[in-house]
Amino acid sequence: MIKRATLIWMFLATAAGIGLFVLKYEVKSMEGQLAAIHGKTVDNLEAVHVLKAEWSYLNQPARLEDLGRRLLNLEPVKATQTISIEDIPFRPVGAGNGVATNSSLTIHHPPAADQVPPLFAKIRRKQ
Amino acid sequence: MIGRHPLFPKKRRREPPVPPRVETGRSRLLITGALFSAAFLVVTGRLIGVTMFVEKSQPQYSRTVGKAALITGRANIVDRNGNLLATSLKTASLYANPRVMLDAREAVNKLATVLPDLDRRQIYKKLTQDRSFIWLQRHLTPRQKHDVNKLGIPGLDFRDEERRVYPSAALASHILGHTDIDNRGLAGIERHFDQKLRENRSPLKLSIDVRVQHAMRKELATAVREFRGIGAAGIVMDVRNGEVISIVSLPDFDPNLPSNIDPDTRFNRATLGVYEMGSTFKIFTTAMALDTGRVSMQDGYDATHPIRIARFVIRDYHAKRRWLSVPEIFMYSSNIGSVKMAVDVGIAEQRAFLQKVGILHPSPVEISEIGAPLIPGRWREINAMTISFGHGLSISPMQLVAGVGAMINGGTYHAPTFLKKPPNSKSTGRRVISAKTSERVRRLLRLVVAKGTGGKAAAQGYLVGGKTGTAEKVVGRRYKKKALMSSFIGAFPMNAPRYVVFAMIDEPSGTKKTFGYATGGWVAAPVVGKVIARIGPLLGVRAVDEKAPEIVREMAIDIVTRKEGKRRLASF
Repeated sequence: MIKRATLIWMFLATAAGIGLFVLKYEVKSMEGQLAAIHGKTVDNLEAVHVLKAEWSYLNQPARLEDLGRRLLNLEPVKATQTISIEDIPFRPVGAGNGVATNSSLTIHHPPAADQVPPLFAKIRRKQ
Repeated sequence: MIGRHPLFPKKRRREPPVPPRVETGRSRLLITGALFSAAFLVVTGRLIGVTMFVEKSQPQYSRTVGKAALITGRANIVDRNGNLLATSLKTASLYANPRVMLDAREAVNKLATVLPDLDRRQIYKKLTQDRSFIWLQRHLTPRQKHDVNKLGIPGLDFRDEERRVYPSAALASHILGHTDIDNRGLAGIERHFDQKLRENRSPLKLSIDVRVQHAMRKELATAVREFRGIGAAGIVMDVRNGEVISIVSLPDFDPNLPSNIDPDTRFNRATLGVYEMGSTFKIFTTAMALDTGRVSMQDGYDATHPIRIARFVIRDYHAKRRWLSVPEIFMYSSNIGSVKMAVDVGIAEQRAFLQKVGILHPSPVEISEIGAPLIPGRWREINAMTISFGHGLSISPMQLVAGVGAMINGGTYHAPTFLKKPPNSKSTGRRVISAKTSERVRRLLRLVVAKGTGGKAAAQGYLVGGKTGTAEKVVGRRYKKKALMSSFIGAFPMNAPRYVVFAMIDEPSGTKKTFGYATGGWVAAPVVGKVIARIGPLLGVRAVDEKAPEIVREMAIDIVTRKEGKRRLASF
């Protein structure tokens, strides 16, 4: 009887010891993995940092202006090229959604509320 | 089990008397057992405590791993839209340990093949010293590092360092400033916020907008080239909260190369330079006169004859030789009229007024290069007279811009700042003139651009108003003839002012196109006009039809003219 109890205890102790050993090594290897991932993350952050500097270097307004003028034929926006949203006329009723229709034959009715884009709906309500 | 133990016999065996020795042994055993169990209890308790509860004194064996983050020695500086203006990049710096080095001469010769800038003789001298650390070259490019590594010289090594990089180069050089090789801020924002940039990791957000900065710098540079000036300054400020959107001083420098900066280019004309501002000061004189109520828009002064005082003669540049009403004095920039207006208000009041609008104190902006205004020691009548048209008092352009901002924004002075304010922060300015006076000043400024000397500052759709200023430069104790400081201070849109735009050209010369004139109206006003036309759409200012009846009515001024004793009304 004494022997059996001792055996069980010895077995449990050995099992716990082995378990601890395995766990410890597993944690250690995972810590290694984490450190490696961290190292990579920092490397990537550094690369992103350099790229951001590069990005703002390439986005210098003087350079963009020159490229725009030379390659895209663009110029700074003039006041006469801007318009406020209130000045944009509504699409003539019945003109449809870009589909050519013969207006003399179609029955005119305003678009349903759910078809009006939200922005315009708001303006329309104001009026 | 205990019951069967020979030391703990059952009661029934007690019949024969227990010998005293056994009794003693038993009690001793009991005490020992109790002590042992107590000790084990303590150990158990401690075990539970140590394993389940964390104590402060306990050394930490496991690292708590947080977010992986890039730590730089100095925080970034960004513009108001988050564009990078200054950042710190990792670089490698080359050093040597001469004690480990085998052949110094060979090492120098080999190094010279990949680092041509190296001073061979000096490096050789250093390498033969008995030291264990000497810098050879700081901040190598990745390619140079690779090349040095390939040489395989023993005793050389790299140390990771950081270098301050300004991706936009000279675009905002004067405001950003620069750092030395050890990343200490030496000028501008870098110097003023040195401590904060070192300690903080979040970027410092400036009020500057790089797009506006570029527009201003480009137009100023074009004007300097066209009029062969020696320098220029330009400022754009938000009148509603004092945020400086753009500040340029020309010539400028590349802060990426701090050792190559020409000392002449370091000078910040926009904040450090103090100048006699000339006629732009008439904005203050007129606003002051109107605000005290002693002068109305219908009043006027006789500007027929020059004013003689002491050994000075005060004349008009665009002389009309007749009675001029207040709007006319402003529109034709009459010195005589302004002097009489200031004298009517009084010397003490003038001083107090200029004090209120920030003219008598150095500008409170957040850089180190700030010029203190030059103020007359004793404020006598002659000083009051010349100051009324911007002479005898030197201030920095930044002070002028902040002061004029208060004149047109409804009458509230906001201290200028280079830092972006939080979006819904309430700007606490101080009221300096009434909203009514401010509204009149706006009409007057619009009049100058619509009908007067500032016509070239007009930018279609943006309802520009402004005032020209031309002053002869003071060199030593004398005015230097033909050396002008031509400026223009404008604002837009005049019906609901958002931004003040200032441009100044240092020592311009007239061209054929300007009929030889190099005054503010010919030289600086076009710069302001072009800048406003470019930045208006960028800043989201709505363009208006300047000829629309309601706009015309909003900007209208009744100009009283007197001819041969008769009063006539002309409305502009």
